[in-house]
Amino acid sequence: MKPVDLARKLRREAAFEPAALERGRAVLMVAIRREAEPTRRPTIVPQVPYQDISAALSFLERAFGFREIPTARFVSADGELLHATVEFGNSLVGVGGQGHHGAISPMSGGVESQFISVEVDDVDAHYRRAVAAGARVADELRDHAWGERTYWALDLEGHRWRFGQPTRQHS
Amino acid sequence: MSSRSDAEVIGRSLGEPEAFGLIYDRHAATLLRFLGRRVGARVAEGLVGELFRIAFERRKTFDASRATALPWLYGIGSNLLLKHRRDEARRLRAGARMAAGLEAADARASARALDARVLFPRVADAIEALPDGEREALLLFAWEELSYQGVAEALELPIGTVRSRLNRARARLRELLDAKGKDRVRAQ
Repeated sequence: MKPVDLARKLRREAAFEPAALERGRAVLMVAIRREAEPTRRPTIVPQVPYQDISAALSFLERAFGFREIPTARFVSADGELLHATVEFGNSLVGVGGQGHHGAISPMSGGVESQFISVEVDDVDAHYRRAVAAGARVADELRDHAWGERTYWALDLEGHRWRFGQPTRQHS
Repeated sequence: MSSRSDAEVIGRSLGEPEAFGLIYDRHAATLLRFLGRRVGARVAEGLVGELFRIAFERRKTFDASRATALPWLYGIGSNLLLKHRRDEARRLRAGARMAAGLEAADARASARALDARVLFPRVADAIEALPDGEREALLLFAWEELSYQGVAEALELPIGTVRSRLNRARARLRELLDAKGKDRVRAQ
């Protein structure tokens, strides 16, 4: 028998608890959070209610380029997604279920009582991306006299978003 | 996202730390099994998160020309295992007892069973007595089935050094086999 085969015969498999990988992941996530958080601490975080949180997250990423922070997911004991946080630039938006804290989605309430204004680097590209992903345009892409180019969009549940880019330097 | 190479994901994680979670999802099960073979399930379960935490903190040093992060992760795991030499030795001896039992059951011949009972504990002792660098190279090659190149990446050594370490480790084990042969001759 070859020495390597002999060594191979001493290989022994261990039986793991199924949760072992989850616990390991939690250790890593603490380290990731510790590094990510200092750069991401806006003072005000809008919380936006949706009927379908998962669909909203997927839309917000596809259409607007908002990225979910996986370490910030809040899931119930039986696995239901209760709250998530997305980031864009140096800002955060909370994405939660409607009904909590008295907030409801325009899809159920029919009223958009406020909108969120977002500054982007390339508003034309952002507009194309949003339209391609099925965002409804509420106000077309256009230039304003005060030196800004904007468009307004409604997301899949009717929340109102304003995207803008400065078009000239202030002197 | 899932089609991106490890190097791309790690590169992305420099600006977006959460992206590193995908490296865990891809490789944690493999590394958990690796640690388990060496130090047993209980210790391995405590080490796997630690391994990836260290990898995350050192991700800037990952060589982006490597498509897969697996050898790099094995290397970090190997370093962690050095702190658990006693658990490893215990497990290796337990493995030797088991292997001897299996060999005996296979052969159904008392001579071979006897050989196995003598041989495997001695192989375990010999592996255990190898210098750290040689033992690591041997087990990454024999147990984890890494290529020479993979072992070289894991241990951050030139491939020639890996080859010579493996040759030395094999030579030591071969001496043991020869010695066993002589014992048998003497016993007759």
